[in-house]
Amino acid sequence: MGAVWTIVTKDLQQRLRDKSVLIFSIAVPLALMTVLNLVIPTSADDVELEPVTMAASIDADDELADVVVSSLAGLSVFQVTVADSEDPRASVDAGDADLGLIIPPGLTEDLRSGTEHSVQMVIGDGAGLSANILIAVTDGLLSEMRSRSVSAAAAIEAGLAPDVAAQLAQEEVDAAGAITAEEGEASDQQLTAGGALIAGQAGLFLMFTVGFGVLSMVAERESGTLARLRSMPIRPGSIVLAKALGAFVLGVLATAVLLTAGSLMFGVAFGNVGAVGVLVLCAVAAATSLTFIVVRLARTAEQANIVQTILALVLGMSGGAFFPIAASGALGAVLDVNPIAAFTRGLGITAGGGGLSDLTAPVLTLLAFAAICLLVSRAIPDRGETR
Amino acid sequence: MVADRVSDEPGTATSSPAAPTPSEQDVLVVTDVERRFGDLKAVDGVSLSIRPGETFGLLGPNGAGKTTTITMIAGLLAPDRGTIEVAGERMHPSAVAVKRHIGLVPQDLALYPDLKGRENLRYFARLQGLRGADLKHRVDEVLEVVGLADRAKDPVKEYSGGMKRRLNIAVGLLHRPSLLILDEPTVGVDPQSRNAILESVEALAGEGMAVLYTTHYMEEAERLCDRIAIIDTGRIQAAGTRSELIRLLGSSDQVRLSGTGDLRAASSAVAQVRGVERADVTDSEVLVTAADAPAALAAIVTAASTHLELADVEITRPDLEQVFLHLTGKALRD
Ligand SMILES: Nc1ncnc2c1ncn2[C@@H]1O[C@H](COP(=O)(O)OP(=O)(O)OP(=O)(O)O)[C@@H](O)[C@H]1O
Ligand SMILES: [Mg+2]
Repeated sequence: MGAVWTIVTKDLQQRLRDKSVLIFSIAVPLALMTVLNLVIPTSADDVELEPVTMAASIDADDELADVVVSSLAGLSVFQVTVADSEDPRASVDAGDADLGLIIPPGLTEDLRSGTEHSVQMVIGDGAGLSANILIAVTDGLLSEMRSRSVSAAAAIEAGLAPDVAAQLAQEEVDAAGAITAEEGEASDQQLTAGGALIAGQAGLFLMFTVGFGVLSMVAERESGTLARLRSMPIRPGSIVLAKALGAFVLGVLATAVLLTAGSLMFGVAFGNVGAVGVLVLCAVAAATSLTFIVVRLARTAEQANIVQTILALVLGMSGGAFFPIAASGALGAVLDVNPIAAFTRGLGITAGGGGLSDLTAPVLTLLAFAAICLLVSRAIPDRGETR
Repeated sequence: MVADRVSDEPGTATSSPAAPTPSEQDVLVVTDVERRFGDLKAVDGVSLSIRPGETFGLLGPNGAGKTTTITMIAGLLAPDRGTIEVAGERMHPSAVAVKRHIGLVPQDLALYPDLKGRENLRYFARLQGLRGADLKHRVDEVLEVVGLADRAKDPVKEYSGGMKRRLNIAVGLLHRPSLLILDEPTVGVDPQSRNAILESVEALAGEGMAVLYTTHYMEEAERLCDRIAIIDTGRIQAAGTRSELIRLLGSSDQVRLSGTGDLRAASSAVAQVRGVERADVTDSEVLVTAADAPAALAAIVTAASTHLELADVEITRPDLEQVFLHLTGKALRD
């Protein structure tokens, strides 16, 4: 263990002295973040959603119609003001409301019996994005209720007090809402464009930073100092372990600095510090073990640096370091295992208020990636075998 | 001096597996070691052994297999066949403890140019297990040995080529190894630095360190080594003391004594000196043939002086260059 420590401290001392880490792992990405933040068009995430005024016409005795309206009024994404109206179409035409909702009497009855029940929505000329979102939400809500309200309807039929039935129905709606929320968390949609940029750049430069640590092994192989180390009474594994540890420490430090500086500079909050920390540790582990494959494949330090740069750029780009990337199907699956993408997704979850328990998917992805790379790197014969 | 260290057992380094009879106390015993690179046999059945305090030379041209042999002895490369024992322990790339006994000075510089001279030494000393006052003491000591104490605070990249070479050697000395392995340590060094290097090697051997020294400079092998193995195409062609090797040529050293006086009487007196094979009189000088002229020179001169007013003494020795030519049919350097 003494040898490992000696090598790690010497390496860190060397890296700090030649300033390469300070420049390429911190200064350059911060500069790049600043520039990209200026040129990147703000995405929908950053658009302030307008409040919506909705004129609704419902039957006061219709339990589920009431549930629909109160659910919409309770949306937290943007403010919804519901006004009772005899004729919502007229209110919209008059410009008193952005949106009209007409639920003819008998929604509860019809849902229970499975009968068609048409609901009308009227959208005004000046209605913005929020009104459109509200239409989509209403539509989703109604189809959810159609498939799920059997229990509520059955409860009413069984003679339960209407408020109990209403509560049951509300639970159904909440459950439907929970599903929608989960879908939102599965993507990095919780990150603002600025947040995604910081996360992606931090992930991209993490590859370069661990490269400084791990690839110094290739440089030492080339310069002959590795052979000298191997002629000393040190267990062969200690050298590899030391390089991994050095890279890991550098990676964690640089990423922590980047996320902190980035969030301060661009006003992005990444959420729970502990959860973000776990995510950073896992991402650094994945990047470090990927770099050990490069060590095995490269004959020279120059080759190693080129391969590492290509890997960083490919993973960084597909992980959204420069612009958001969405893909589905096979390509989507490939993107999903990209450690930088997993890291960004994870930060999306923590930024959206998620804690450690919500990070299972990205953390497992990163750890599995690390483990597989480690196994692969062990299996590859060393092309640059020392003489 | 080289000439008075004489091996008692000629040929304890050969390419034939049966030949060496290594003794208990040998620091290094290499037995029938072979290493291939693809189709090329870089080392082909090398056997040799080195005693404490002995300086053993591997003399051979480029590509002879010197570095490959040393690389295996230092545990960086596994032999395809044969065994290597250092201080009685088996040497292998995965071995750890046995490596404490060796100090490797690689042919190519193995230093960190960005670090200062002293930082390089401190780093390698820690890896050799040295700590605290002991570490500081040893670092200071090796800096003295290689004459770099006044430049220890400078980054190695600011050193001259010769200074880098000397620091490269210093790293191999830090832990007082029982076997110091030097791979062509004087290549590309000016005569002054070269002399400094040779002097430190002589001093270390004088302190009882066993030294394995590879070179393709005949003069270095002659000056430093108690025993020399001539290696070519991966095989040891011959091994022994310098005079043993010279004897393979069938010719001995010659000493020409010129002066005024009784040449004939001088020649008879010189012929009685131990180590002198014959003494002949020519026109104006006495021509003495001896196996090891430098060793016998003092006695020869004393004997001759009783009959001659000596004007000039000149030694001519057949050299290892000729031995190499004799053994391999080619010149040592191309
Ligand atoms: N890693 C390697 N792969 C392939 N061939 C090698 C390797 N190392 C050495 N060789 C070959 O083995 C032979 C012996 O090389 P080696 O370096 O041992 O010679 P040397 O005596 O040290 O020469 P020099 O005086 O030039 O240093 C050479 O033909 C060389 O090309
Ligand atoms: Mg060599």
